[in-house]
Parts: sequence; structure tokens; C-alpha cells
Amino acid sequence: MAERLTLEEVSYSYPLPGREDLPALDGISLAVEPGEVLCVAGANGSGKSTLAQVCAGLLAPTAGSMGYGGEKIEGRRRLLSFRRKVGLLFQNAEDQLFADTVFEDVAFGPRNHGLKGEELETRVASAAGHAGIDLDELGGRSPFSLSEGEKRRVALAGVLALDPEVLVLDEPFIGLDFDNGERLKGVLGAYREERGASVVIVTHELADAWSLADRFVLLDGGRCAAVEEKSELVRGDIELAGLGMRLPQWGALARGLIRCGVAVADPSDPVVLARAMAERRRASDGR
Amino acid sequence: MGDADSFRMRMEGVRYRYPRAGSDALSGIDLEFEQGRMYAVLGRNGSGKSTLARCLNGLLVPTVGRVTVGGLDSADGASGLEIRRNVAMVFQNPDAQMIASSVEEEVAFGPENLGLEPALIRGRVDRAMDLVGIRELARRQPRKLSQGQKQLVAVAGALAMEPRFIVSDESTSMLDHDARERVLELFGRLRDDGLGIVHVTHFLEEALLADTVVILEDGVVADEGAPADVLSSPDEVRGLGLRPLEVTVVIRELATLGHRVPAGVLDIEELLSWLNA
Ligand SMILES: Nc1ncnc2c1ncn2[C@@H]1O[C@H](COP(=O)(O)OP(=O)(O)OP(=O)(O)O)[C@@H](O)[C@H]1O
Ligand SMILES: Nc1ncnc2c1ncn2[C@@H]1O[C@H](COP(=O)(O)OP(=O)(O)OP(=O)(O)O)[C@@H](O)[C@H]1O
Ligand SMILES: [Mg+2]
Ligand SMILES: [Mg+2]
Repeated sequence: MAERLTLEEVSYSYPLPGREDLPALDGISLAVEPGEVLCVAGANGSGKSTLAQVCAGLLAPTAGSMGYGGEKIEGRRRLLSFRRKVGLLFQNAEDQLFADTVFEDVAFGPRNHGLKGEELETRVASAAGHAGIDLDELGGRSPFSLSEGEKRRVALAGVLALDPEVLVLDEPFIGLDFDNGERLKGVLGAYREERGASVVIVTHELADAWSLADRFVLLDGGRCAAVEEKSELVRGDIELAGLGMRLPQWGALARGLIRCGVAVADPSDPVVLARAMAERRRASDGR
Repeated sequence: MGDADSFRMRMEGVRYRYPRAGSDALSGIDLEFEQGRMYAVLGRNGSGKSTLARCLNGLLVPTVGRVTVGGLDSADGASGLEIRRNVAMVFQNPDAQMIASSVEEEVAFGPENLGLEPALIRGRVDRAMDLVGIRELARRQPRKLSQGQKQLVAVAGALAMEPRFIVSDESTSMLDHDARERVLELFGRLRDDGLGIVHVTHFLEEALLADTVVILEDGVVADEGAPADVLSSPDEVRGLGLRPLEVTVVIRELATLGHRVPAGVLDIEELLSWLNA
């Protein structure tokens, strides 16, 4: 079971040679609640990947502090112990892949955690299955000889194989085909339920996390512009266009329906949307 | 070089098998790409999209069959430079492409390899950076940009080549809404000006902008045609491993509830006008 992860007034700046530091995150305060799916969304360069690496304990904030389970993450020992609980999927799969074979790549993390023999095999097989990687077919291949989508799924399997209680995924849906994307959504939902894990989905596309996320953190130039729920996004509480984003199609349809006076219970479910429309047609046909 | 009308990229009976691979990544492709048209290439992971793209710019030479660009056979080593001059490529992973120490040098890399005059290169580079909206990144180190920013640099690099064809391998996958619109609008305008565009994508919305859609499955062409013909049936689209358009899914649900939406409705506005009609 995950615990509460908190960021307090966290800032991060990248040093640029011969120039002023580049502030990528500026005073971010947020909490990832145990067992929630949190979406971090924003335009290109808004600081999403930087925030993902901060959340995973890989980049140390240049200002502000972080806590996990009520304890401050400070000092080497606490940082290392926190890192063991988090799995980070990098936006670029090649930053993650390194082994000679797909199997060894996925096995690296759990091996490091002390798993061996059958336990290791099982862990690797299950993670690969969840990521849609057929080990019989790809297990012996070099990860660098795969198609991009295959690479990304091997990297994902490597992270899932760590069985982390906090899962931070930087653009996990990029490059995945429809079936693999849908599979991943199912896997993440189940993982959160069964493992009690917290899942942070970082994306430039709200549609990716639309059906999964409980809350959406919207970044704008390194600052947190808002934290919203789906219903608030549909209602238009915040102007998404100004943040370089748009409502996903389902959300836009839900908004259109609500504006026409049709109530929508779940703005991510096509069946619900269709029923609402059918009722409206029946009502107007009857008039 | 023939005139624009006759300048085509052609794949004839193309098979490609990677070294040491147990099966073909492309297993018999016949396609023709004309200038002034946009082609969208769709398909599952591993279906051969990137392999097809790499064959078109001569990076890979077919194991069987042939690829010709403006009549030049890509298997002929001497035509390599000429093919790359005419067919610019945006790779799926922009990281693989970032080598220079500044963004402007990165964008200039292609034209420099063509041996153009420095002043000419300067103009092209500035224009390309303006078109994709990365002027303020000109002096930054490409490797130290965000992934989406890198992808825009890669697109600018292809534009600066002023090629006859752009082969874009998922070049919009990491772009935010505004950047994506900008690039797609640009592709549209360039197409109208006579450029040929082959755009690999997982987004059906983008495929709708194309003149022709090509769907790959296991290294062969599973379907080819006008977007509205190929993409309007959610079940067919799904069967090919693609994400159906949301609107078509709702329309199918409505049909099961006894409400028939007229054919050809593919976006939300149209659907809402039907609702309120
Ligand atoms: N290694 C680095 N060195 C210097 N600056 C960097 C580095 N990585 C990112 N930046 C800059 O920090 C800012 C935030 O980058 P980040 O990668 O977090 O954005 P992002 O929201 O993930 O964008 P994208 O959607 O393009 O992936 C950008 O302005 C970027 O140029
Ligand atoms: N360098 C390589 N060596 C061996 N096999 C390869 C290599 N690159 C790709 N393949 C294989 O060739 C097939 C087609 O790969 P390709 O990269 O063309 O697919 P794709 O349609 O672009 O997929 P994606 O959507 O994942 O990018 C896949 O089965 C892949 O594993
Ligand atoms: Mg990023
Ligand atoms: Mg590919």
C-alpha cells in the first residue's frame, strides 16, 4: 500500500552553461494520495518530465521539500529508501533500456531487489504480459532492435517488474497502438486496485488519462495552474486553450451535451454519452 | 530530374528483413507516392511503418523488390545523396537525431550536407525555425530540451532541407495541441504547394487530413483509400488495431439504441447539430 507523497513549494532549475539557470519548476505544492491515479498534464516544456523525475527522487529539488508517509525525504538513507518504492518510466525508452536482451532488461530491477529463480521468472513474465510483450517472441532479442512501440513497452515492463508502490509514468501512451494503450489502461487500473499503489500519469494529452485519473494537475510554465477533477474540466472552470491543451473528444462531447441541457453522469463513457443523446432525441421527437 | 508531375516515390514488391531476423518486417509492398499529396500511414506496433519510412529515404534497401525515388533506385549507392536531398526524414525518436551543440546548428545540419552556401542555409534555417515556432530555442543545446521541443527541432531540420517529400515518422506524437496544429497546418500548406508528405501516425484525426490512408498489418498493406472510406467504420478500424474515432463509437451506440445518425458525420459539432435538429 502506498503512502501519501507530498511536495511543498518545490522548485527545480537546470544549469545552463554560460547563462542564467533555467527554472523548470517553480513553487509546486501537491500531494499524491495513497491509491489515487493522478494525471500531470501541460504543454511542451511546461515541466512535466522534470516533475516526474522529482517525484521519483531522481532530481533533487533546488528549493522546497518532499515527504513520503509523513516523513521528510531528506538525507541519503531516506532518499534511497524512497527510491526503492518508486518506479519511473522515462519519456524516452532508450534512457531506460540497456541490457543485451529483452528478458535481461526486464529482469534487471527485480534481480537487484534480490529475486531469483522461479520467483524472478514469474515476476518478469507477469510484467511482460502486462506490457503486452511476448517473451517467447521477443525475450531473446536486443531491446535496441525493436520497433519504437515495442521498446516503450519493454521499458514499461521493466518498471512494472519492480512492483513499486508509487508508479510514475512519463508519457506512457506515446507510440502505443490502440490495443496496447487500452491494455495499459486496464493494467494501471488493476494495479492501483490490487496493489494499493499510487499512479502518476504524466501526459501532454488529457485524453490519455481521461478514463483513469481521479485528479488532473495542470502545469503552465513550471507552475501549477490548477488541480481539477474531470467534471470541473468539462464544466470549463479553467481555460485549457491557454495552457496549450484541449478537452478530449469524450469531454468535449459531454460539454456540448451539457450546454444543450443534457445531463451526463460520466464524461468518459461512450455508452453513457450515447444514452444521454438517445433520451434527448426521444424527448424532442415526442414534442 | 523530371518535372514535379513525374517525380514519385515508388515501392515495387518490397520485402525487407532485418539482419538476423527470423521474418520479414515488410513482406510485399507495392505503393506509389506522388508530390502534392499527403499520405497517412497507420498500423499496430511492429506492423512495419518505420521500416517502410526508412526504405523511402534510402536508409534501408529492400531485401527483395525495389524502391525508386524520382526514377533513382535506392539500391544504387551513387543515388544515395540525391535521394536524401529529395526525401527528408523526421525520425520517430527525436533523440536519435539530436547531435549538434545548438538548435540552429542542428537545423542547419541537413542543408549543410547538401553543400549549400552559408547565406542560403542561414535563410532556410531561420525560416524553418519560425515556421515551427522554435526561434527562442535557437541557441539552446538540443540534447537539453524537453522531448516535445526536440521533436519540433527535428521537424524544422526536415523543412530546412526544402525537399520534395517529407517522411514524418510519428513526428507529432509528443507535440502539445498548439504545436501539433501548427505542424499539421504547415504540412497541409506545403502539400498544397506541391510537397509530398508521408505521415506515420496513431491518430485518426490526423489521418483524416490526408488524401490517402495506408494501413499496414504484419508488413503488408491491409487497406488503402480515402480517409472517409477507410476510417468511418469503428469495427473495421478496431479490427486493424487502430483507435476508432470517438464520434463513430457514439454513433454506433446510438444505432443500437434505435437512432440512426446520417452517414458522413465524423465530428462533434456535426453530431450535436444532428442532436438538436
Ligand atoms: N537537461 C536539461 N537541461 C536544461 N534544460 C532542460 C533540460 N531538460 C529540460 N529542460 C528545460 O526545462 C523545461 C521543462 O522541461 P520538461 O522536459 O520538464 O518539459 P515537459 O513538460 O516534459 O515537455 P514535453 O511535453 O516536451 O516532454 C523546458 O524549458 C526544457 O527546455
Ligand atoms: N533494427 C531491427 N532489427 C531487427 N528487427 C527489427 C529492427 N527494427 C524493427 N524490427 C522489427 O521489424 C518489425 C517492424 O518494425 P517497425 O519499426 O517498422 O514497426 P512500426 O510499425 O514502426 O512499429 P511502432 O508502432 O512500434 O513504431 C517489428 O517486428 C520489429 O520488431
Ligand atoms: Mg516531457
Ligand atoms: Mg515505428
